[in-house]
Amino acid sequence: MTDDVMRFFAAWMLTHEVADEGLKAAVLRGDEGGADGMSGGPDAFVDGLAAMVAEEKENLKRDLEARARGEKVSIEAEPDPAFEELRFEVGELRGRLDNIESLLETLVRRADAGK
Amino acid sequence: MASRRLTIAGTVLRRLIAALPAAGFGLASAHRRRAAFARAWRLAFEDLGPAFIKLGQLISVRPDEFSDELVAEMQSMQDAVPPLPAEAIRAVIRAEFAREPEELWATFDDVPVASASIAQVHRATLARAYTPVWGTELPTGTALAIKVVRPGAAESIRADVAIARSLAERVARMRFARRFDPVALLDEFASTVDRELDLRQEGRFADRFTFDFRDDPKVVAPRIVWPTSTARVLTMEFMTGWRLNQLEEARAGGVDCYALAVHGATAFMRQVFVYGRYHADLHPANLFVTPDNTIAYLDFGIVGFLTSEERMNITQVMAALVYRDPERALTYSANLGVHVPADRVATVREGLGELLGGTFRPDGTRDFAHFGLGFLKLLGENNVQIPSGYGLLIKSLATVEGVARALYPEIDIVETAKPFTTRILGQAMGDPARLHERIPAAIRAAMRELVA
Repeated sequence: MTDDVMRFFAAWMLTHEVADEGLKAAVLRGDEGGADGMSGGPDAFVDGLAAMVAEEKENLKRDLEARARGEKVSIEAEPDPAFEELRFEVGELRGRLDNIESLLETLVRRADAGK
Repeated sequence: MASRRLTIAGTVLRRLIAALPAAGFGLASAHRRRAAFARAWRLAFEDLGPAFIKLGQLISVRPDEFSDELVAEMQSMQDAVPPLPAEAIRAVIRAEFAREPEELWATFDDVPVASASIAQVHRATLARAYTPVWGTELPTGTALAIKVVRPGAAESIRADVAIARSLAERVARMRFARRFDPVALLDEFASTVDRELDLRQEGRFADRFTFDFRDDPKVVAPRIVWPTSTARVLTMEFMTGWRLNQLEEARAGGVDCYALAVHGATAFMRQVFVYGRYHADLHPANLFVTPDNTIAYLDFGIVGFLTSEERMNITQVMAALVYRDPERALTYSANLGVHVPADRVATVREGLGELLGGTFRPDGTRDFAHFGLGFLKLLGENNVQIPSGYGLLIKSLATVEGVARALYPEIDIVETAKPFTTRILGQAMGDPARLHERIPAAIRAAMRELVA
């Protein structure tokens, strides 16, 4: 959802590329806004954000061109995070079971030694 | 307990008396006096063992409550103690598994590779191949690090904390101690140490860290072998590489220190701003650079956790630093529990503005440590209570900056934070709750602009 927001703005910026001079100026200021170039304050953040959305727009352009060539685009090649998270949770559960099994073995060994 | 109380009082008194000449018997300048007594406190804490060493580490992240001299002294606290004989460590392993180390691992080295106040680390090799929680199988013979809690460490720490707490309760009733709450500090300390004493928690965090950085082959953490781990014994991959005080060797070995400095700082930002869980005990001994140009994070004993709301507020505070916006810093610090009294807001805002404008080094890069620790001090001077975790995070970020600058002195950690903070805040614009809250005002602003 959140990545889509960036893509949404990128798409918006792509379609308004020619029209919006104000936005272009913000992108320029954001690009130059290193330690020296930034004036500071809330406007500086908006400039920085505009520069980042412009970067995303370039990614979107590349993806669209790649898709037109029939290639797989970067955003589609990423593994599904929900699936990855599930795999991790299963792995973690297995780790806990390994740990509990070992603990049980220790208890049995102790009980046997006490007989 | 009474004799331990006497030992504590005696040790502190002995060290303070020994510091009198350095303090000019009270006639030296205030700074010299404070420095001499701070050193005495640090030495006394080192003498008194694990609980006090850990307490000193906690003091080192609270510049809002303690003097600069004491904080600096506690930052240099050495957590290295003489190793215990192998037999004592073997006894712990035997008590945990009812087996000899040689039955658990293919080999076990009696000579420790590290020895700290809470635990001691020995080398071993894996007896049977094991598939860790995340990543490829660890083959038979994999080099392992076995971390073992020192016998009696937990009991002595808890006993010392109980004594220190009863003393703190008395101190809290005294007039001079009103500015800080020693009991709360000790309670925070007790919960941190309790977590650190259960090595399984450290192991779980290491596994989570490996998963979080699964897409980044340049950042690694040791993976855990759970069948031979308990609360007091942790079995993990042995990581080899250079410590940060061996960087010349690392460079000679072909390590690209600049790339690693940027990557290391970025990795930490990702922990804080993206995941909201971070390694909170970063110091040169807990980081390696490896011959294949990776950064290995070790020792996840102290970790910080942030709720998604805290994470967002901290991101906003960081964005305030990046974009030099004191109003944003104050607004979102308040959301984190940093409440500046109304009559102090103007003073704090002015001080904050000065800090934001004065955080440049001579080489033009920004100095996060100067800002972060200065901000905490500014709040302390204005009687603003710092919530638990806030100081730790700032100290952690300052440490990351120090570590990154050890790798590459010209790195600008604030500039490194810029893409993270900007992207996260940009993405947050799509949060439905935020849209619901802010859209009406945004529409009103747009309409005002249109009809102007």
